[in-house]
Amino acid sequence: MLQILIYGAVISSIYALLAVGFTLVFGVARILNLAHGAFYALGAYGVYTLTANVHLPLWLAAIVAVVLVGLLGVLIERVLVRPLRRSMLAVLLITLAVALMIEQVLLLAFGSEARNVPSLVDVTYHLLGVDISGQRLFALAGGIVVLAGLWSFLQFTRLGSAILAVSQDAEAAQYMGIPSDRMYSIVMGMSAGMAAAAGVLVAPFQSVIPSMGLLPLVKAFVIVVVGGLGSIAGSVVGALLLGFSETIIAFKISIEWSQIVSVAAVLVTLVLRPAGFFGKRAAF
Amino acid sequence: MTGDRIDWIGALGALALLVVIPLIFGSSYIIGVMTVALCYGMWAASWDFMSGLTGRENFGHSLFIGAGAYTAGFLDVNFGLSPWWSLMAAPLVAVLFGILMGFPTLRLRGPYFALAMLSGSAVMQNLTIIFSVYTGGQDGLNGLTPLLDSTLAQYYLTLGFLAASGVLLRLIANSPWGLILRAIRGDEATCQAAGINVNFYKIASLMISAAVAGLGGALYAHYQLQVGPDLFTVVLSINIIIMVYVGGIGSIYGPIGGALLLNVLTETLRGLSEYRLWVYTLVLVVILFFLPQGAIAPLWRRIRRVLP
Amino acid sequence: MSALLQVEGLNKHFGGLHAVRDVSFSLQRGSITGVLGPNGAGKTTMFNLLSGFIRPDSGTVLFDGSPLVGLAPHQIVNCGVARTFQLARPFAGMTVLENVEVACLARRVRHSGAPRARAAALLDQVGLGSQADNEVDVLPYGDLRRLEIARALATRPSLLLLDEPFAGLGAGEVGPLADLIRALHKSEGLTILLIEHKLREFMQLVHEIIAMDFGEIIAVGSAAEIVRHPRVIEAYLGADDPVLELG
Repeated sequence: MLQILIYGAVISSIYALLAVGFTLVFGVARILNLAHGAFYALGAYGVYTLTANVHLPLWLAAIVAVVLVGLLGVLIERVLVRPLRRSMLAVLLITLAVALMIEQVLLLAFGSEARNVPSLVDVTYHLLGVDISGQRLFALAGGIVVLAGLWSFLQFTRLGSAILAVSQDAEAAQYMGIPSDRMYSIVMGMSAGMAAAAGVLVAPFQSVIPSMGLLPLVKAFVIVVVGGLGSIAGSVVGALLLGFSETIIAFKISIEWSQIVSVAAVLVTLVLRPAGFFGKRAAF
Repeated sequence: MTGDRIDWIGALGALALLVVIPLIFGSSYIIGVMTVALCYGMWAASWDFMSGLTGRENFGHSLFIGAGAYTAGFLDVNFGLSPWWSLMAAPLVAVLFGILMGFPTLRLRGPYFALAMLSGSAVMQNLTIIFSVYTGGQDGLNGLTPLLDSTLAQYYLTLGFLAASGVLLRLIANSPWGLILRAIRGDEATCQAAGINVNFYKIASLMISAAVAGLGGALYAHYQLQVGPDLFTVVLSINIIIMVYVGGIGSIYGPIGGALLLNVLTETLRGLSEYRLWVYTLVLVVILFFLPQGAIAPLWRRIRRVLP
Repeated sequence: MSALLQVEGLNKHFGGLHAVRDVSFSLQRGSITGVLGPNGAGKTTMFNLLSGFIRPDSGTVLFDGSPLVGLAPHQIVNCGVARTFQLARPFAGMTVLENVEVACLARRVRHSGAPRARAAALLDQVGLGSQADNEVDVLPYGDLRRLEIARALATRPSLLLLDEPFAGLGAGEVGPLADLIRALHKSEGLTILLIEHKLREFMQLVHEIIAMDFGEIIAVGSAAEIVRHPRVIEAYLGADDPVLELG
């Protein structure tokens, strides 16, 4: 029981990091960023390279990886996405192309064997007769910290309020003198950074392979469809729901059954409430 | 000569070509590639019939393909029935899935409909793995019986079915039915105001699309002699959509041409297997940006204008 | 003789907004009745309720004695009630002829003559015969309105609901369209209910007017009566409507 609670919470916090970033980019920049999973993978590979090859201490590698991926996100937005902004389909395709390219590069550079990233917290706790790895607890804590940081940023800083304003009404925000274009780059960078952070946090206990970003992308998408595209609260709730239901089903029934939860959730949501349960307006 | 008549003559010519090709290039490898291409032709034509005409893009077409193929697999491997039963049962099972998915998604438009259908096929894909005791899981079902003894005979059988279903779909598309389907694409509310039962036509066209796709699935299964969960994937659905776009959406015959072309193309590029996905993406991007009407149907229309 | 259309206690809420409030009226066979009211008065909502595109919260609609509430839009059309839309959305990608041909495939009229031939005749009737083979996308706005009418006529309605048929037309186009409506009324024996926002021609076209404001019917009467009615004047206060100039 405790295991379910912890594992569920860990998965949910990672899902929340991914989903919130995904929905932020959609809500603010109106981009369905299919490269989101690739940023996650880059975070994991980044921390691997920086520790294994550059020999940075783990904590520094983590931070550097997140920052670098964030900057990459900004770059991609400015160079590849911005010129195609008029067509949503074109943006979708270009982010897809970026995702494919990144996966190919990772495959060429690192091969298809899983890479080993050392744990930041190499302790196993024994609580109530159950073994829980310290790294997983750290991932949970890390996820919560990042999300709390994001929330504070959006609520209490000028830039954060500006971003919220743009997500609610881009045109009105522009009349108020908020430069939407710059917002888009910043939000993309933040979203990429959050995805990378998720990748960094799970790297010690998930298989680090070039295609690791696909499933998280799908999960993020599922959560965001169910929670409502553009709704941060919806993403958090959705992440909790998906994370816990997958964990419970995996423990009680089987792993195969747990994988069906996500696609079934999308189907049910679309039939019942296409805009998502927390979505204020239809996404498309 | 009217445009229609030229179309049929052109189709006859293409059919004659397809009949003759295996006699010229006798290798069983080529016949094999072509047989698979013909199955894709049925899948592409059936997709075009529903999604191309009504504009409701179905991103879960593989659901019907897998349903048909696994029906064939079950009847053959688990029940030992003659493969000819599959050809009758597969379309029916696929239609059942069509009804199952069609009704709940009636009011969904555009991307929502696409996503819902996609989830449907993904759910089936997962279920196939979950119930691996019955379905063989990732390995699927093996050891199906071929329909006919020689690969050449199977090729002609598949060609026959492709031709028959292509003709049928095209006839329906050119009939008042087709007009109504295209009107649904135009504007559903106006269609209702014109006294048309839009829901009926949406479901019916989905059922017809499912039936042909399922039949193609069964033919494919009895050719490959095995079925697996890869027949339920999103990738398969999207590949078919790309073939339709290359061929020219809404024409029925264009997508068949697109399917044949892309299958032959990817076979010739077999050496570059890692880049296959790149090729597909590139083709899709090119079509979407530069040739939204497709390549084959517009080309044929241009040729047709030049003819007497 | 019983009324062709009998509406009783129609109500519709959209969240907190009471869009249509206890609307009751009846239409006699062969009459042309206008519905007048400022924007947001609930006119189009009422049309949507009558034609089945929206379901009312309460109330009944009897058409020739049969209830219409709960029927799907296409079923209502097949009972003999046709409507046009304020914002015409024709079938894009098809020809003008095909646009009408689709309506000739409605169950009610499917077997009353070859659809294509009927569609061509209808286009002639509304004056679009020469445009039959043009793509509907290139049709000018005024012609789109005629197309709407042709499409509605294709289903052989007894009751025709016209939603702002004159909206957006230039001064020279209004007269001919009104003449067409008048001619069709006579030749097809139609009963017509027509919404218009404000217009001179409208006043000369209709026998009786139902005035609405804030979802309610505030007055019913002839054109002359309505224009003097205190509540109607109040509803239009501040709006510069030529309607009020007809005294």
